Amino acid sequence: MTEIPRERIRNFCIVAHIDHGKSTLADRLLEVTGTVSARDHRAQFLDNMDLERERGITIKAQTARMKYRAPDGDSYVLNLIDTPGHVDFSYEVSRALAACEGAVLVVDASQGIEAQTLANAYLAIDAGLEIIPVLNKIDLPSAEPDRVAREIEEVVGLDASDVLLVSAKEGKGVAELLERIVERVPAPEGDRDAPTRALVFDSWFDPYVGAVLLVRVVDGRLSVRDRVRFMATGSEREVQQLSVIEPYPCPVASLAAGEVGIVVAGLKTLAEVRIGDTITSRDGPAAEALVGFREAKPMVFAGLYPVEAEAYRDLKAALEKLKLNDSSFAYEPETSVALGFGFRCGFLGFLHGEIIQERLEREYDLDLITTAPTVRYRVVPKSGEPFEIESPAALPEPGDLDHIEEPMISATIHVPSEYVGAVLALCQDRRGTQQDMAVHGSRVQIRYRLPLGEVVTDFHDRIKSATRGYGSYDYEFMGYERAPLVKLDILVNGDMVDALSLIVHRDKAHSQGTELARKLKEFIPRQMYEVAIQAAIGTKVIARTTVKALRKNVTAKCYGGDITRKRKLLEKQKRGKRRMKKVGNVEIPQEAFLAALKLGDE
Amino acid sequence: MQGEPTVGLYVHVPFCERICPYCDFAVVAARRLGPEREDRYIDALLAELERRAPDFAGHSLASLYLGGGTPSLLRPESVRRVIEEAQRHFAPLAPVEITLEVNPSSVERERLPAFRAAGVGRLSIGIQSFDDTRLQRLGRAHKAEEGRRTLAAARAAGFDNVSLDLLFAGPAPQAEPGGEASEVLLDRDLDATLEFGPEHVSAYELTLEAGTPFAAAAQAGVLRLPDEETAAALIERVEERLTAAGYERYEISSYARPGFRAVHNQRYWLRAPVLGIGMGAWSSEPPSPGAPHGVRRANSRQLETYLERVESGRSPAGEPEPLTPAIARGEAVFLSLRRREGLAAAGFAAEFGAPPRHFFAPAIEALTEAHLLTESTDGDLTLTARGRMLSDSVFAHFV
Ligand SMILES: Nc1nc2c(ncn2[C@@H]2O[C@H](COP(=O)(O)OP(=O)(O)OP(=O)(O)O)[C@@H](O)[C@H]2O)c(=O)[nH]1
Ligand code: SF4
Ligand SMILES: [Mg+2]
Repeated sequence: MTEIPRERIRNFCIVAHIDHGKSTLADRLLEVTGTVSARDHRAQFLDNMDLERERGITIKAQTARMKYRAPDGDSYVLNLIDTPGHVDFSYEVSRALAACEGAVLVVDASQGIEAQTLANAYLAIDAGLEIIPVLNKIDLPSAEPDRVAREIEEVVGLDASDVLLVSAKEGKGVAELLERIVERVPAPEGDRDAPTRALVFDSWFDPYVGAVLLVRVVDGRLSVRDRVRFMATGSEREVQQLSVIEPYPCPVASLAAGEVGIVVAGLKTLAEVRIGDTITSRDGPAAEALVGFREAKPMVFAGLYPVEAEAYRDLKAALEKLKLNDSSFAYEPETSVALGFGFRCGFLGFLHGEIIQERLEREYDLDLITTAPTVRYRVVPKSGEPFEIESPAALPEPGDLDHIEEPMISATIHVPSEYVGAVLALCQDRRGTQQDMAVHGSRVQIRYRLPLGEVVTDFHDRIKSATRGYGSYDYEFMGYERAPLVKLDILVNGDMVDALSLIVHRDKAHSQGTELARKLKEFIPRQMYEVAIQAAIGTKVIARTTVKALRKNVTAKCYGGDITRKRKLLEKQKRGKRRMKKVGNVEIPQEAFLAALKLGDE
Repeated sequence: MQGEPTVGLYVHVPFCERICPYCDFAVVAARRLGPEREDRYIDALLAELERRAPDFAGHSLASLYLGGGTPSLLRPESVRRVIEEAQRHFAPLAPVEITLEVNPSSVERERLPAFRAAGVGRLSIGIQSFDDTRLQRLGRAHKAEEGRRTLAAARAAGFDNVSLDLLFAGPAPQAEPGGEASEVLLDRDLDATLEFGPEHVSAYELTLEAGTPFAAAAQAGVLRLPDEETAAALIERVEERLTAAGYERYEISSYARPGFRAVHNQRYWLRAPVLGIGMGAWSSEPPSPGAPHGVRRANSRQLETYLERVESGRSPAGEPEPLTPAIARGEAVFLSLRRREGLAAAGFAAEFGAPPRHFFAPAIEALTEAHLLTESTDGDLTLTARGRMLSDSVFAHFV
């Protein structure tokens, strides 16, 4: 097989705000280039995880290689990376950018510019990529291509006359887009005669071959049987398999500078894989490694515990495997008085946490209890060094505390002007301070400084509901700030349930304590004994409720064939109990541990 | 089991004048049960009996129960045929309790003397309530007055063993304008019951069974049952008044005057063999070397399927359910505990090789500590008063 000349390669990604149609556009590109036949086709082809298909969103960036014959007769190899749009997964986007020279920036012609449009556009511009702006969904009656094109020019700074009009749904404008990609996106640079350097920009785990690495070869080439060195970890391996994704893996003998492909090199454990590592050849190594990635920093933390203690080892094994597929989440062992042995896990955001939990439950068949998500606080003790905590239970006694600092963000919120009032009220309620506000036509960009802890769980949903779905937001971490925070504890029949503790602002403690106690009462079913629920700050009880003892649980009649059925009902009742966690002599259902998420719902 | 082996025969008659909205029994609506349809069904019953009797060979008949459905829709001669055939197949263990379920209606009332002549010795009358509004709300076909007359007719026909069904905690009447409290209604029903003075009372609360119109109505929020507190108070009221009047609460929902416990029903709680024939009927076959804890078997719940299978010489039963030791142990506990006498450790050990404590120590300890269960020095288990009220929570520990 002859090597593909560098000038005939185009590497690009598709970036956009969530739901603006990236994956659908990728479908059309795969189809028009004949990479996927209509027969194999299903919508959002590259979203292949069950969860992605159910939720209709992209979670993990996906790559596909396409052959394209330009109208002038020349053939090209196009490598496409479809990226996720949700803010939690922007780390996926930034890694994809490192493998590309161009980015197709998709903007929904009926929605206009939204928070992640800007965030991702800036990421691509900062990475030095050629941007190809595309207005999608022009088939919609509500599309306003002229207005949105002007917005793109005004806000992003790209020439409005350069914007391509596309309907990914109907395939309109897709051929033009392919031509534009070939014309505008620069061919990859890099020296095929220099010592090999390949950037590992993604990895996942295959039960048969171990870690599968997605790489972009920057210099030189990789061939099967090459002895290679991973520059960051120092491990040396032999290349066992190389493939390109078309969009099913297709083995190749080598990958040359400019190409993107898959490497299997017998890496079996987590310690051996590092995203952002550089692969070089063992015998003629490169002098310098490529610039890797800043490690993704988890922002949201929650405890994950097996419902049944015996499943701890299974959970541990599952977390290890999942981490190989998703390097952006973190976990470490944690013990809870109430829940026993489990793990404190760190996620990029709330959605990311939900997805990890769901994958653990489904792909690894685990029953889990998740505690309410929290952020990382900085604790300054009266004596000794400041330290960070990722769990309310880890907060020292008030007497030992000098003060607590909480993580702050700068949120950029995009809304149509009629909803500004509602959004300001929401930000104010979340202890925000306004920074600025700019008007672009009918849309307003508002910036607020907010405590991260006030936005992690439901801020996005609240913005959506306050703006009938038209608002969106993005955020940037801004460091720590001192705040009067207190630990809110929950006592069940007098015993503190550490897994239910929260860190809250002093001024909100009373109302949140009362509400949390009330919510718990809804979640905890009546049992044989009366259950007293108390919310307390330190030793001071600020709210209490009781779940009355079960008065009656009896089936009236039982004879004849009822016996088998009756037994099955009893068995079902017993199974229901197993899914509850026994704290003292009180059975607490899984959902109760997330009661804190329901605060503010009515 | 000691003594001579016995069998209880259950005969299911699925026909009802109309289907009550809370009922999930194996029933078919038959406004008028024509003689042809009746004969075809009885023929099938007897054919099935012929076929199944050998499985219970050597067992003598302890009880015969004609249940439904509404078996009193049958003509007395049909009932006679069934009784005679049963006694032909199984030597009667004198005296055999022969029960017929009766719904209050004029036709059935007139037949009571003939039923008695056919051999029926005990009636179980589906009175449910003595209040017209309540009966109507339950969707029952009869009026309170008909109930009273049926009771009187039973006595007049010479029945000295009568059981009466009471259905309480029905649709919450106080939810409606002018409605009376459930407690008041229950008291009036109990007054009327005691005035008649049956030998036996089955008093049970209305239960919402999945798939019934009542369950759907409750789901939709148009039907409200009394809350847990009220329902519990009603159960206590029934117990209080009936025991004060000399009845013994010998099972969670069964009350009897001395000497009048239901022989047939007790077989279920004692796990004694029962041969069930007819559409949807269940059987508990006696232990055998291959199935040391017996086998349970259910007939088809579809009338046509049942008839066709029997008529073509095939079995109307589905897959047999062999009772594993674990299942049998669980059932032994929860069925015995329904009875006043509870679970005898010695009998249990004879069947399972060790007393209950050997298998269920943590549950027994937790439940005795919670005052739901009492354990005697011999290891016998009985429910406490609170345990009876929370019996399902108790039983769930053993299945
Ligand atoms: N009418 C119309 N609908 C479109 C078009 N392109 C995409 N859609 C619809 O928009 C929705 C989102 O499309 P996706 O392709 O999943 O969007 P995405 O940008 O990949 O979303 P994320 O990966 O979750 O960020 C789907 O319901 C698509 O069918 C289009 O050109 N016209
Ligand atoms: S009469 Fe009895 S068996 Fe017949 S439908 Fe009513 S409740 Fe069911
Ligand atoms: Mg997508």
